[in-house]
Amino acid sequence: MAPQSTSRIRNFSIIAHIDHGKSTLADRLMEFTGTVSARDLTEQMLDTMDLERERGITIKAQAVRMTYQARDGQTYEFNLIDTPGHVDFAYEVSRALAACEGALLVVDASQGIEAQTLANVYKALELGLEIVPVVNKIDLPQADPELVREEIARVIGIPAERSILASARTGEGVDQILEAVVTALPAPVGDPEAALRALIFDCKYDAYRGVVVYVRVMDGRLRSGTQIRMMANQGTFTVDEVGIFHPSMVEVGELTAGEVGYLIASIRNVRDSKVGDTITEVSRPTPAPLPGYRQVSPMVWAGLFPVEGDDYQGLKEALDRLQLNDAALTFEPETSIALGFGFRCGFLGLLHMEIVQERLEREFQLNLITTAPSVAYRVTLRNGSVMEIDNPDQLPEVGLIETIEEPRVKLEIVVPREHLGGIMELCQERRGEFVQLEYQPPGERALLTYDLPLGEIIHDFYDQLKSRSRGYASMDYQLTGYRAEQLVKLDVLVAGAKVDALSIIVHRQQSSNQGRKLVQRLKEVIPRQLFEVAIQAAIGGKVIARETVPALRKDVLAKCYGGDITRKRKLLEKQREGKQRMKRVGSVEIPQEAFMAVLSLDR
Amino acid sequence: MTAEVAPGTARSLYLHIPFCDTRCPYCDFAIHIGGEQLRQPYVEALIREVDHLTAAGQPPGGLETIYLGGGTPGLLEPALLGRILAAVAQRFGIAPGAEITLEANPTGLTEARCRSWRGLGINRLSLGVQSLDDATLHWLGRNHDGKTAERALRAAVDAGLENLSCDLIYAVPTQPTAVFATGLERLLSFSPSHISCYELTVEPGTPLARWVAQGRVSAPTEPEFIEQHRLARDRLQAAGLRQYEVSNYARPGHESRHNLTYWLGRNYLAAGCGAHGFVGLQAARALGLAVDSDRVAVRYWNFRSAATYIKEVARRGHGRRGHEGIDQQQAEMERVACGLRLRAGVELRLSHQLTVAGRLAQLGLLTIEGRRAVATARGVEVLDRLTLELVAAKPGVAEVEGAAQRRRVPVAAAAPAGPPSPGGRKVKPERVRQEHSEHIAGQGGYGPHRQHLRPSEPESLTGDRGLQHSHRRQADSRQQ
Repeated sequence: MAPQSTSRIRNFSIIAHIDHGKSTLADRLMEFTGTVSARDLTEQMLDTMDLERERGITIKAQAVRMTYQARDGQTYEFNLIDTPGHVDFAYEVSRALAACEGALLVVDASQGIEAQTLANVYKALELGLEIVPVVNKIDLPQADPELVREEIARVIGIPAERSILASARTGEGVDQILEAVVTALPAPVGDPEAALRALIFDCKYDAYRGVVVYVRVMDGRLRSGTQIRMMANQGTFTVDEVGIFHPSMVEVGELTAGEVGYLIASIRNVRDSKVGDTITEVSRPTPAPLPGYRQVSPMVWAGLFPVEGDDYQGLKEALDRLQLNDAALTFEPETSIALGFGFRCGFLGLLHMEIVQERLEREFQLNLITTAPSVAYRVTLRNGSVMEIDNPDQLPEVGLIETIEEPRVKLEIVVPREHLGGIMELCQERRGEFVQLEYQPPGERALLTYDLPLGEIIHDFYDQLKSRSRGYASMDYQLTGYRAEQLVKLDVLVAGAKVDALSIIVHRQQSSNQGRKLVQRLKEVIPRQLFEVAIQAAIGGKVIARETVPALRKDVLAKCYGGDITRKRKLLEKQREGKQRMKRVGSVEIPQEAFMAVLSLDR
Repeated sequence: MTAEVAPGTARSLYLHIPFCDTRCPYCDFAIHIGGEQLRQPYVEALIREVDHLTAAGQPPGGLETIYLGGGTPGLLEPALLGRILAAVAQRFGIAPGAEITLEANPTGLTEARCRSWRGLGINRLSLGVQSLDDATLHWLGRNHDGKTAERALRAAVDAGLENLSCDLIYAVPTQPTAVFATGLERLLSFSPSHISCYELTVEPGTPLARWVAQGRVSAPTEPEFIEQHRLARDRLQAAGLRQYEVSNYARPGHESRHNLTYWLGRNYLAAGCGAHGFVGLQAARALGLAVDSDRVAVRYWNFRSAATYIKEVARRGHGRRGHEGIDQQQAEMERVACGLRLRAGVELRLSHQLTVAGRLAQLGLLTIEGRRAVATARGVEVLDRLTLELVAAKPGVAEVEGAAQRRRVPVAAAAPAGPPSPGGRKVKPERVRQEHSEHIAGQGGYGPHRQHLRPSEPESLTGDRGLQHSHRRQADSRQQ
């Protein structure tokens, strides 16, 4: 099965915007190369988690080896690396791309290129990858393949005629894509006789076999028995098994320079196998690790609390389990006066947070309350000490603080010209500073760059972006640094008691507006109770806004006879379930939405 | 004697008569407009189903309550009513002093008709007055006016049907409170012994619900409800009619014994289209219902359409459309939900429910006497929420009073012993469990000696505190 030299290997990934057809194309490639029979083909073959299939997203990278009989009569080994597409996983994407020599750029024939895609294309170009554009979904009635071809030519500079027109759904053009992989993408270069250098582009935890490390061998050979060292992480292990993905794991004798596969080496923790790290041989280490490694650190933090106090241990175990397979997830115990015992969790971004939350609820049947996400602020105290605060409630007293710095990002947005005004307004509202605006000729779409606080985009920014551009704008961002601002902590009091989990850090200029909006929103989501409930927003003990949830006045059904009793009981059972999803803070029942209310503040 | 009686043998029988002259737009009962030619076959079917129900067991001494509801059973020829009652008497027997209720409407009601009902043994009349105001009656789609209603009331009183109940609707969107108040006074001038005073409810699937959804009429509003509910409550109680259930008021001793079987979770049989029955496990099996043995009671219901019902009875001997087995937890939930509707309140058997009740008592919504929770006047207005609070109460989680004192208490420590009840009494778990199962098994004193029914009736109920007092009297009256 393995070709004799690297000249017949092609390593590539697929770059595509969500819903542009990446997973369907991957399915089709596997079907056409006979990697899986049409009978065994489940939809979105490479998205193995239920969550991935449902939401049409890729969370974990996957790899698959295919064997392709090309028109030149030769048999080629294809390694397709499927990568997550979301901005939260930008680093993982860059490492998966680094494991390839080429990429298929899949663009929806009716939608055109999106910002996220563009960001990944630039990343691929920087890494020296060859790009084969595929204009997908040409069978759709609203498809305009030629326009999209031209756009690709203009934006990326690849001549229009080199874009392959295809429909992953019908299979049209798939043979051309396979052929282009052979002819347009370069074979890997690497010296099988040199010292071992292998790139970790992902890993997963297997309950029986430990950590399965996804590797691309750049130089040298990797086989069972090899003593390896993770160069950044400094761990040493003995390889038990190497193999390829076909698409299930198949053991092979060795992986040599240019090949993609996996290794198993009794690694117990995914943290010992960091994405981007270089694997070398203990007895013959390479002097030069592969470039591009960096420590992944969370961008947003939120508290996760079990609704039922007794679920705390279950939550801890569930987080431990998820962490086995998710090196980016961090958590540490947190105690909230309002919510009790829980965990402060760090995430790569909002999608990552949603995924973790959903998996905890779904796979571990936990009933959770998530607090509003926060970024990490850098706080310098008068005494000169510096601390990182990722939980607004932990902000020290105002008198002790010298400065509060917040993280800022470079935000890139691709937006059709007619929606540019609304999007620029949005960026201004979120304290953004304009950097530049470029029109992609002939001026249909604008590439807009802003410098703005990360804290301003982790809430509802993305939703706003979509709604103000009728879904057409897309975005990408990168952390650039910290800057001191006039920031204050806004506290919320419910029925006179401070609810620590509702505290947020806001800019002083926006504080009264935000406080008013927050109490209004809370009034909407906190149901009427058997007594009147005051909701107040306060800064440093001074109340700046107040709303009142009036007491429930009437809640009784006039009639309850024989036939009504079953109905009554079923209603009670349903209401009881709803009640159990609420958190009792003091004497007030607060629904889950309240803790996320800050996310939907209409500014 | 008692040995021959299956546990929980029903002593009450509901008979549904669906026939009506017109459809009222707010009504969601199983009714049949007109259908003169259907009445004879319907009565035949009903009698056949009564026959079938004897399999559930015959109470020694006969039935204690019979309720002819509808529809408008008063529309049925007295001869047909007589046939039904004779059949019931023959199959089940009717206890001396049994309560036999007939529902009727004011239209066409005469003293002679009332007398003929009395002659059949009917001793309680439930009259669908609804209102004495012509405009309101018209809005409600009733086929009578205020004068007709008053004539009917006079006829019933003159005929000596002194156990007279009237239905009265309030919170009708077009009816000002003053008009409702006037009607209430006029009704009281007839000194009825019982009034069912309902707020107008928009039931899903009714023409009224459709009109509200289309914006053609406005829905009853909360301020109207509160105002008129309080007015009725205060006025009726001042007139000596005690609120013994959320919507029901009676002179002491004139509470509906039949309806109390529903609220007290006792068994009853039911026949006729759309009727619901509630029986013990053994009775259910005797009736041929398949029930898992972890169930403690069974509710069954019949086809709603009169024509279908007749066909089904002809085919199978009964008109059952479905049934559900009720497990212990569900039965407990129903017991609390129904019991709380009563002025006598409900005994709370779980210590964590008492803890919640204590909190509700602090808000002035409940009073707690021993283990019995009783809704206050204010509490009745939010009764469904109180019920939810009590049934949603969970053991094992330490109560949190005030966020600042929040601390975790290990479940194991809190659950088995149970926190002390607000009255400072420790509730012994074994005792709770035992009473619990006794109750839902329907064995808690359905024997002939009613005095044993309420062993835990607290002494404190003797206080003249309206509801409680009334309950005491009512319970007494039921024991005779």
